[in-house]
Amino acid sequence: MVYFILSRIARAVITVALVVTFAFVVLRLSGDPALMIMGPEAPPEVLAAFRSAWGLDLPIWQQYFSYFGAIAQGELGRSMRDGRPAIELVLERIPSTLALTLPALAMKVGIGLPAGIYAALHRGGPIDRLVMTLAVAGFTVPSFVLGLVLVLVFSVMLGWLPSGGQDSWRHAILPVLTLGIGGAAILARFTRSAMLEVLGQPYMRTALAKGVPWHVAIRSHALPNAAIPTVTIIGFMVGTLIAGAVVVESVFSWPGVGRLLVVAVANRDLAVVQCILLLVAATMVASNLLVDFLYGYLDPRLRTGARAGAH
Amino acid sequence: MSATTPLVEVEAIARRYTMKKGVFGAPIEVRAVDGVSFSIRRGETLGIVGESGSGKSTTGRMVLGLEMPDAGTVRFDGAAIPPIGGAEWRRQRARMQMIFQDPLAALDRRLPIAAQVREPLDIHLIGNEAEREARVVELLRDVGLSADHGRRYPHELSGGQRQRAVLARALATRPDFLVCDEPVSALDVSIQAQVVNQLIDIQAALGLAMLFISHDLRVVRQVSRRVGVMYLGRIVEEGDADDLFATPVHPYTRALVSAAPHPGRKPTERIVLTGDPPNPADRPSGCAFHPRCAFAVARCRVESPVLADLGAGRQVACHLASPAGAGGVPTGPKLPALEVA
Amino acid sequence: MTDLAAPGAPASHQQPVRRRPTIPLGVALAIAWLIGMIVVALLADRITPYGVTAMDLKNRLALPGNTGHWLGTDELGRDVLSRLIASVRISLMIAFGATLISAFVGTLLGFLAAHLRGAFEQMVLMLADFQASMPFLIMALAVLAFFGSSLPTLIGLMGIYGWERYARISRGLAISAGQQGYAGAIRQLGATPARIYLRHILPNIASTLIVSMTLVFPEVILLESGLSFLGLGVQPPMTSLGNMVGYGREYLTRAPWIMLAPSLAIVVTTFAVSMLGDWLRDRLDPTLR
Repeated sequence: MVYFILSRIARAVITVALVVTFAFVVLRLSGDPALMIMGPEAPPEVLAAFRSAWGLDLPIWQQYFSYFGAIAQGELGRSMRDGRPAIELVLERIPSTLALTLPALAMKVGIGLPAGIYAALHRGGPIDRLVMTLAVAGFTVPSFVLGLVLVLVFSVMLGWLPSGGQDSWRHAILPVLTLGIGGAAILARFTRSAMLEVLGQPYMRTALAKGVPWHVAIRSHALPNAAIPTVTIIGFMVGTLIAGAVVVESVFSWPGVGRLLVVAVANRDLAVVQCILLLVAATMVASNLLVDFLYGYLDPRLRTGARAGAH
Repeated sequence: MSATTPLVEVEAIARRYTMKKGVFGAPIEVRAVDGVSFSIRRGETLGIVGESGSGKSTTGRMVLGLEMPDAGTVRFDGAAIPPIGGAEWRRQRARMQMIFQDPLAALDRRLPIAAQVREPLDIHLIGNEAEREARVVELLRDVGLSADHGRRYPHELSGGQRQRAVLARALATRPDFLVCDEPVSALDVSIQAQVVNQLIDIQAALGLAMLFISHDLRVVRQVSRRVGVMYLGRIVEEGDADDLFATPVHPYTRALVSAAPHPGRKPTERIVLTGDPPNPADRPSGCAFHPRCAFAVARCRVESPVLADLGAGRQVACHLASPAGAGGVPTGPKLPALEVA
Repeated sequence: MTDLAAPGAPASHQQPVRRRPTIPLGVALAIAWLIGMIVVALLADRITPYGVTAMDLKNRLALPGNTGHWLGTDELGRDVLSRLIASVRISLMIAFGATLISAFVGTLLGFLAAHLRGAFEQMVLMLADFQASMPFLIMALAVLAFFGSSLPTLIGLMGIYGWERYARISRGLAISAGQQGYAGAIRQLGATPARIYLRHILPNIASTLIVSMTLVFPEVILLESGLSFLGLGVQPPMTSLGNMVGYGREYLTRAPWIMLAPSLAIVVTTFAVSMLGDWLRDRLDPTLR
C-alpha cells in the first residue's frame, strides 16, 4: 500500500514535470520568452531583470532547472494586457467557473449515475434505449451547438431565460444545463457498461445461484465492483472543473477561467496561458491522485499490494 | 566437415531471470536453465524430456540462438552463434529452424499457406520467382499437403495440416538443424502419430540434426536415438533412448517411465511422485529432486550431484547411481519395493 | 481472437458458403452520408453555386428555401450553402489529415516501443499516460497561443490528438505477436524487422487500428470545430464548420439557419462516423473497448 501511494505520487510529480517541460519547450520554440511574457513594450531594464531572474543568459539546461525553480516560487509572469500578475487574474476567475462546473458536476453524477445503473438493470427497456440514444447524442453534439440551441429555444423563442452574462442565478441555468446534459449522458453510458460487465461476471451468477436475493446481490456485489471504473470517469470530470467550461463560457459570455484563457490565447498573453496550463495540470494531477486513492480503497487487491508489483 | 564432429555443441549453458517477490522484496534469481551440455551430430536426433518448468523450452530457444545464454556457449558448425537480430544472425536462420507447439499461432492468419511456406525463400533470396513457386509445391508435397492446401488460409486447415505447413516452411531453406518444441502436443492424439512419422521420415531423408523437446516420453522415444531428461534446469540423465527407457537409473526418470502407460505392467507398480511440482523460483538445496525422491539420503539435501558417466553411453546425476556392472547396465538406488519390477 | 476468420479471406469451396453480411439500414445511411460529404469536399470548387466571399447585397439574410440561395444568405449576403460546402471541405481535410497523422505517428511509436523495449518503451508509455491524463483542448490552446494559428499548425496539432491510443494498441499487439505468435515465428525465419512489422503485424492489426480511427475521427472534428468556433482555429478568409457556427451565433435571433446548417453538418457527420465505427468494431474486433 505504501508502495502504491508512493508510485502514484511519483507519477503525479512526473506529470507536472512533463507539463512544465511542455511549457518550457513551447516557450523556447516560440521566441524570446522575456519579450513574450513581459510584452514588447517592456522597458529594457525590466527585460534584463526578467532575463536574469529566469536565468535566460545561462545554458539551456540550467535555464530548464531555473524555470522549474521560478515556477515553484510562484513566479508566473505578468499579463501583458494590464501588467497584473497572471496568477492573480486567474485566481479571481476561479469562483465564476466553479459556479458553473460544480452544479454541472452534481447534475452529471446525480442524473448520469442512477440512469446508468437503472439502464443496466433494465437492459433493453425504454429507459435503457433513451440513455443510449442520449449518450450517443452527448458524444456527437458539440457543447457549443447544444448551448446555442438551448439559447435559441429558451431565450430567443420562449424568452424564459437570459442568453448570456453573469447577473443572476438565472444566467447560470443554461450553461449548467449545457455542461450537465452531455456529461450526464456520457457518465450514464459508462456506468451502464461497467454495470453490465459486472452483472455478467461468474461471481454474480454464483451469488444468485446460491440464493442471494437479487437486490442484495446488486448492492453488495455489483455496485462496489462497478464503482471502480466509474470512479475513473468521475475523477476525470472533477479534474476538468476548472478547464472543462472553456467553450461553454464563451458561448454564454461567462467571465470564468475558460473565457480568460480564450481571450489570452487570442491576444497571445502567454503568461496567463502558461499560468492556466499549470493550474489545469495541477488540478488534473490532484484529481488523478484522488481517484487512485479511491481505487485503493475500493479495490482490496490494491490495498494488500498484491497487484502493485504489476505496475 | 566430417560426420563425426558434432553439428551443435552446447557447453554448460545457463539462463537466469530475476524476479521480484513482493514490492520491496529482494530480487530472486530464477535459474531456468542451469548448466546444460550436450552435442548433436548431423543426422542425429536428441530428445529432451521434462515437465513444464524444467527449462527444456528455454534450452531449445538458446540452442537455436533465439535467446542468449547468460553463461556457457552454443556452437553451431564449429562457430559461436552471432549476435541476435544482426544480419549474420538472420542469414544463419536459413540453416536452423524451429517447429512450434501451436501451429495456428505460428502462422500468419492473413496469408495463404503457400505464401507463408515461400516466405523463407523470399527472405533469404533463394532462387527466382519460378523456382520459388516450384519449390513451394515440392515442399507441400513432401509434407503431405496438396497445392490446393497451399491456397487456403491457416484457419481453413486442420491442426495436423497446419503443423505440416509449419514443417514445410521450416524445411524451405534446406536447414541442417531443426528444433521441435512440443510439435505434436497441441494435436489430437490420432493425428500425433501421423505427424511424428512424417517428421521421422523427413529427418532421415534429409539427414537433419534435430532437437526434439517434449513432455511425452512415448513420442520422444519414437523420434530420438538419444534422450536427455531435464529437471529444474538441469539434465539429470542422458543416454540411448531405448536403454534409458528400459532401465532408467535416476529416480526421477524411473518415476516418469513408470507413469507412462505401458502394456503388460500393473498400474500398482507406478511410482507416484510426492511433494510440490518443481518451481524454478524455489529451488531446493542440494539435489533439486530430493524433496520428491523416495531414496533421498542426507547427502542429497546438501550436495548437488553432477552428471557422471556410468558407461554404456549413460550419464546420470544422482549420488546413489552406480556405474555399469557386469551386465553392462548401470543401476540406480535400490528400494525393496522396486525390486519387483 | 485467433479463431476469428480473416475478413476478406476468400471462402474455401470446402466450407459452407458464408452468409453475406447484411448492412443495417442505419449504417448504410451513415455510409451514404459520409460518401456524400467526401464527394462534396472533393468537388467543392465545382459545385459551390457562389464564391465563398461573393456578396449579394440585395439578398442579405435571405431565408432558406429561396431559389437563388437554398440555405439562405448571411448578413453580408454571402450564400450559406456555398460557405457550408467550403467549410465541409476544410473541416474534413483537417480531420482526415489529423487522423492519418496520429494513426501513423502512434503506430510507428507503438512498433518502435515493442521492438526496442527498454527506456524508449518506458518513455512512450509515459508520454501516452501523460497525454491521456491532460485535457487536450487546453494543451492545444496553449500551443496555439504560442505559435498562432495556421492551417498546417492546426493539422499538425490535431495530428497529435489520439496518437497514444494507436501507440498502446500497436505496441500491445506487436509484443504479443512477437512473444508467442506469428511474428516470433517469422523473426526466427530470418526476416528483417521491417518485413515483420510491415508485411505481417500491420495487416493483422489493421482492422483494430481502423476501428480506432473511427473513434478518433469524430473527436477531431469536434475539437477543430470547437477551436474554430472560439475563433482560434481556422482563420478567415478560410472557413470551417466551427467558424460558421461561431459567426452564425451573432445572428441567432434574426437568421438561425446560418448557425443551424453547419451545426447539423457537424452532428450528422460525427454521428455517422461513430455509427460506422460501432458497426465495424462489432464486425472486425469485438475485443476493443
